[in-house]
Amino acid sequence: MVDVSQHKLVPEHILLDDPEEIEEVLEEYNVSKTNLPKIRTKDSALPEGAEPGDVVKIVRESRTTDRAVVYRLVIE
Amino acid sequence: MTEYEHVDEDVRAITEDSELPQRLREQVYETVDDRGGVTAEQADEIVQAVESRYLDTRVDPLDPVGTVSAQSIGEPGTQMTMNTFHYAGVAEIDVTQGLPRLIELVDARKTPDTPMMTVHLEDEYAVDRERAHEVVWSIEATKILALGDVSTNVADMLVQIDLNEGTLLERWPTIDDVEEIAARIAETIEDALGVETRRTGTVIEFGPSEPSYRELLQLVEELREVVFKGIEDISRVVIRKEQLDDGEEEFVLYTEGSAFGDVLEIEGVDASRTTCNNIHEIYRNLGVEAAREAIINETMDTLEEQGLDDVNVRHLMLVSDIMTNRGTIESIGRHGISGSKESVLARAAFEVTVNHLLDAAIHGERDRLDGVIENVIVGKPVSIGTGDVDLRMGSFSPTQPSD
Repeated sequence: MVDVSQHKLVPEHILLDDPEEIEEVLEEYNVSKTNLPKIRTKDSALPEGAEPGDVVKIVRESRTTDRAVVYRLVIE
Repeated sequence: MTEYEHVDEDVRAITEDSELPQRLREQVYETVDDRGGVTAEQADEIVQAVESRYLDTRVDPLDPVGTVSAQSIGEPGTQMTMNTFHYAGVAEIDVTQGLPRLIELVDARKTPDTPMMTVHLEDEYAVDRERAHEVVWSIEATKILALGDVSTNVADMLVQIDLNEGTLLERWPTIDDVEEIAARIAETIEDALGVETRRTGTVIEFGPSEPSYRELLQLVEELREVVFKGIEDISRVVIRKEQLDDGEEEFVLYTEGSAFGDVLEIEGVDASRTTCNNIHEIYRNLGVEAAREAIINETMDTLEEQGLDDVNVRHLMLVSDIMTNRGTIESIGRHGISGSKESVLARAAFEVTVNHLLDAAIHGERDRLDGVIENVIVGKPVSIGTGDVDLRMGSFSPTQPSD
């Protein structure tokens, strides 16, 4: 299998396994978990061991700033 | 962090203390460095000026960014050609461009009109023309007409294939024996058409089980479609030498037709740079984040190709963000974003008004009147910009102390 994470179109995906960290993120943006953008469990770039309900931190090389950090909720 | 000759600690401290993002800070350092350094006071003024310009360009709270994006892509869209079907700068490959391509992207069509891939190669495959051709042969679909002459012998009810030795050796570079290649081809024909074949050297013969003129012709027709090597969806591959940023040269392949997943697995293909113009294939193989990037790249390239490169990427990023928000690619339109809006009135305002109102009435839907269109319909201020802020005007005279 091809290592998807090596492709230049794929940004870094990090699984947030510390519930406190997730709390912090939700507080910072003042949203609930379900308001986050989603990512499917069958997504090829999803880190191993991610279950529905987990939150993935994505660090993009942004076109407008240097690095943009976004979060996606794992669903389905 | 890059070191600058003329940027001292004071200037650095002042800049780092501002609200500027890293990229703008670097630009400040570079400019200051070019000018041969500045004093701390000058640096302070420069940074303040840059910062105020930067803060001005930020979106205000409650700004309707979606509407602004729609206008900013829509207006230049009117200047696009309706039907450009010319050969895009790259090689002789025909690519849909202009408005049709843009529509195709936001509609998230399952397959683009003209699918294509840009295949980058790794290591020696990228520099050696022979090795690069090996990859070409394992990608491009090879059909019988490329391998030899096909003739029909009506008297004996036979199809005769006279294979060209040179072509065989060229297309199967890993095998030296022509006999073996011919045997493989014969096998492929037997599997694909379900006939018995006879082979003498590079000549293959076969015919229908019962003598029938129609079946003979049918076999020839089917034979032309059989793929002997490569990937069926890829009809043509163009090889081009390109200059890299560091001055080195490498071979890059452009394909007509796409099979992104299959190509990534082929030996010699650089799976970290190879791309295709089908956003769904990117989504399937690389995930939703890569699809987001691909949509931005493709829309921006389409606009740039038409000389409309002054559309800010932020608008395209917004479109792409919305399209990939739910973890898959959704189109913008009736079947996608606009059709799945929560508000009944917003959906009704978009298309097929009566159906939406009727369905909503049957299911007893409620409308919370949060959005823009809903409030325009009912004649209330929209919750955007000043419409979302409650201001109360009071009066007091400055002479009297207010209590």
